[in-house]
Amino acid sequence: METTSYLPLLILVSSLIPGTLILLLREEQVGLRTFLNLFGAVAKVGLVAWVFAGYMRGEEYTFFFRLALDLTFSLRVDQLGLFFAALSSVLWLVTTLYAIGYLEGGQHRRRFFAFFSFCVTASTGIALSGNVLTFFIFYEFLTLSTYPLVVHRGTDKAVEAGRTYLWYTIGGGTILFLGVVGLFVVAGPIYFGQTEIIANLISVNPTQLTILFFIILTGLAVKAAIFPLHGWLPISMVAPAPVSALLHAVAVVKAGAFGIVRLVYDVYGIQVAEQMNYLSVLAVFAAFTIIYGSVRAMFQDDFKKRLAFSTVSQLSYIALGVAIPGVLTSTGAIVHLVHQGIMKITMFFAAGNVAETYGYKKISELNGIGRRMPLTMGAFTIAAFGMIGLPPVAGFISKWYLGLGAVEAGSYWVVFVLLASSALNAAYFLPIVYRAWYCEPDYEVSRLRNSGRLEAQALLLIPVVVTGILSIAAGVFAAMAGSPLSIAREIAEKLYLL
Amino acid sequence: MIWFLTIVLPLLAAIITAYLPSGRRGVGLIFVGATLPALWLGLVEVSGVTAQWFLLESHFSLDTPRRIILLLTVILWATSGLFAGSYLKDDARRGEFSFYFGATMAGNFGLLISAEVASFYTFFALMTFASYGLVIHSRTPSARRAARIYLVMAIIGELFLITAFYLAVQSAGSMLLADIHPALAEAPNGPFIFLLGLVGFGVKVGAIPLYFWLPLAHPAAPAPASAVLSGAMIKAGLVGWMHFAPVGLVEWSSLSLLMVSLGFTAALGAAIYGLTQVDPKTNLAYSSISQMGVMTVLLGIGLYGGIPAGLLLPAIALYAFNHGTAKALLFMGTALPAKVGGSWRILMWVGLGLGVLAIAGGPLTGGLWTKYLVKTFLGETSLPGAQTFLLLLTLSAVTTTLLLSRFLHLLYQIKAPAKKVAPAFLLPWVLLLLAGGWWTMTPALLPAELMNYITKEKGIMAFFWNLLTNWGALWPITIGVLVMAFTLKFAMLNRWPTKNPILPPGDFLHIILLAGDLLAKLIGKGISLLEYGIKSLQGPEKLFYRISDDKRTSQISAYAEILLRRWEFVGIGFFIFFITLFLLLR
Repeated sequence: METTSYLPLLILVSSLIPGTLILLLREEQVGLRTFLNLFGAVAKVGLVAWVFAGYMRGEEYTFFFRLALDLTFSLRVDQLGLFFAALSSVLWLVTTLYAIGYLEGGQHRRRFFAFFSFCVTASTGIALSGNVLTFFIFYEFLTLSTYPLVVHRGTDKAVEAGRTYLWYTIGGGTILFLGVVGLFVVAGPIYFGQTEIIANLISVNPTQLTILFFIILTGLAVKAAIFPLHGWLPISMVAPAPVSALLHAVAVVKAGAFGIVRLVYDVYGIQVAEQMNYLSVLAVFAAFTIIYGSVRAMFQDDFKKRLAFSTVSQLSYIALGVAIPGVLTSTGAIVHLVHQGIMKITMFFAAGNVAETYGYKKISELNGIGRRMPLTMGAFTIAAFGMIGLPPVAGFISKWYLGLGAVEAGSYWVVFVLLASSALNAAYFLPIVYRAWYCEPDYEVSRLRNSGRLEAQALLLIPVVVTGILSIAAGVFAAMAGSPLSIAREIAEKLYLL
Repeated sequence: MIWFLTIVLPLLAAIITAYLPSGRRGVGLIFVGATLPALWLGLVEVSGVTAQWFLLESHFSLDTPRRIILLLTVILWATSGLFAGSYLKDDARRGEFSFYFGATMAGNFGLLISAEVASFYTFFALMTFASYGLVIHSRTPSARRAARIYLVMAIIGELFLITAFYLAVQSAGSMLLADIHPALAEAPNGPFIFLLGLVGFGVKVGAIPLYFWLPLAHPAAPAPASAVLSGAMIKAGLVGWMHFAPVGLVEWSSLSLLMVSLGFTAALGAAIYGLTQVDPKTNLAYSSISQMGVMTVLLGIGLYGGIPAGLLLPAIALYAFNHGTAKALLFMGTALPAKVGGSWRILMWVGLGLGVLAIAGGPLTGGLWTKYLVKTFLGETSLPGAQTFLLLLTLSAVTTTLLLSRFLHLLYQIKAPAKKVAPAFLLPWVLLLLAGGWWTMTPALLPAELMNYITKEKGIMAFFWNLLTNWGALWPITIGVLVMAFTLKFAMLNRWPTKNPILPPGDFLHIILLAGDLLAKLIGKGISLLEYGIKSLQGPEKLFYRISDDKRTSQISAYAEILLRRWEFVGIGFFIFFITLFLLLR
């Protein structure tokens, strides 16, 4: 850890600087703003790819900055972090394209895109942070940078939703702060991966460390939307579609889930967490959230709200996978970070396309929409099948690993949770698919708004098609080297070798 | 390469034909072309391949029973594809139909050539969900209802399957399908895993009590789709069973007895219930359930041990081959009487008659000797009650004849068209007749081992000649025909319904729905109570929302803010905070 590399910092700066510059621009400078946005996004993907290639060659990238005597700001590249950084940077690029198309001619775009860039800076920061403190800094930065996005529309409803969002996330952040400080006091500075620190201390201070584990977990669980801390998620879906997409797939909820993964695997260590029975508590909460989210989703008629509750449910797959010890379940959990991201972002893009092109926001209005938006709804259908866990879509791979791992670990009840969740997923996603493809539209076809050749604006259509293809490719080519699964498997295998 | 083309070509065909304008010719030929790689695999032995990039590392290979079923599947898809090309030429939704048809075809071929769990499950799911589009094709209320019931049952089946696969893969320690049945034979929970598979695939097979979607869904699809549904896809479930069944390795007497009794119940019961139906396609669907019952019996006796898998499984596959070709012939045949005129009608009736004979096990058809195989194995099993089983099998020939002569009678009532031309889809039908006839009446498909076993010392040709002209086998069929003719002519003259069925199709389903309605009402009441409760709580997700929105909260928070601005409070607050932390962490 002697050499310092500025590459990780550069990854963050690639979106931080465009964001800051955008704030300095005038609202009308659309061309320059778009250029800055895309430049940042492409640069970030390129840098992550560069670092990835370097990491595979065995190089180490670490960045240090001493804040105070014992407090260091540290960025470090490890496989898990890179995995999450790759997810954020790729989906950010896609979402940026989508947002440019979606907000065309809208208001306050300067503010929007600036905070959009800050938001992804925060989420890559979370991915690359090397110690608990740095993680916490970016975690809070994420909260603050997403708030302007949630209230972007400025309507009363949006402001109310924003307030709820802040109540939850700031509350969660405060609790997390308590935990982080406590952990620092008890165990000193912990870099991710130094699980031996806790392992040595656990026999000395079992009660304090247990309390701290659950305090930190509570703080993270707010963003990971684990019941009963999930309330902000369905309410904050009033935000514009690209924001919901980013919130639900990459940034906020994933920060929470990723934090849980880090906490269990890289701070406390899987052995300690298992011995102390932390995991069984987490498993029960995750399992309940999976079922609860699905049941709530069934009763929503609002398209985005149904997707939001589905996110609540799907996210807990990650927590559940973390909570069942074993290589297979860990693989399932880690790979679901990515799989859930690409599938859910596809769904939000599709919902946004329908709302933007035809103004339909309710599921009961979607009759026959598949005929008019075949590509959008085709991508949505793929993602829906993936959520149910049908092969060859990505979701099947996650579920396969989770289920097989649960059987291997002897936790048969988890299989029942997975089955129930699959059945419930089918029960709330298939009606949408059915309406879109097999019901006759209730209105005249002449009400079609776009008479052009494309079913929606190109900038709205391309992202949904790309992520739709990605969701199916991640499943079909799962065994290939470099697929999300292969990387997740490598990470999980390393965890259990120690 | 050929293995991938087998799957990729049907998928390509699905996409290409979906975009061809309605009324365009050549769709049928595209589908025929898409089956060619599979045909090659069915006829020529090709060594298996591994695709390291596909899903979770896929393997593709074939064994004897699956090759026989693949050949059956290819014949049916090719001929019904050709048939569909003409039959649906002017259909408004032809493009959509072609898409689902091609996708289903890819799934059906794919699952047969898959040798490992992930790809098998993938293609099984592809077939299941793509065929939903075939069932709902006509968009009539009854088709929608049938499709919905089909989908619910299919999902239930998938859930059982995935559980079975989780457990099976875990106990086998391998993803290869070939490793599953030896592992089940060893594992202490082997019978349980098999039972899960039995239920999961039983939905597709139409096994009792999971069959009730079948008499609704199979007839709802257009004729060529019904043909592949009832002829080929139903066999996919059978193939699944074969993967799970440790034939010859175990002696699971209770499971064996369970399968045999369920099989015979289906064989006799479905045929009798089918008699009450007035739609020829529903009749055929019940006949399919009944015939699958016979195959269930065969597999069931395999679980009792004593018969090697190398003999029994090809025999089941051959029985399936005969049933599949004949059933597809009859299903496509339901479209013919209204379209075929003049002297071509003679050909039509001969073909339909042969199809009926083949299913009933009559002379001059493959049905006779495939039934002979069943009899051989039934006679040799050590399962108690083998003699009764033989009697039941003969009885099932009578009931099948009754059912299928009723089917012919229903077709007979359809008026011939005025024109004397034979429509274009008589050609694929005749092709199917010829292909089915050739492969079922000659020993071409019989594996050497099984052939030696059944011919014993007799020469093969002499054996077959004896079998094909075994007029003694005709008596159950004669009884069936006579009984049917008698009831039609004398006993129930004009009283046999032709418009509405005596009993609704889907029988058992109605009991379930009745019970389900009752349950739904109860659950509905429960939910409304629960909703009332949740509303009064405002839902947990509104908890913070309420706090933050409340007027009093804002007053309190405003007051709190004023307090907080006074430094002494902040100081005391921090002090308390740190003291707590210190006490906590000391």
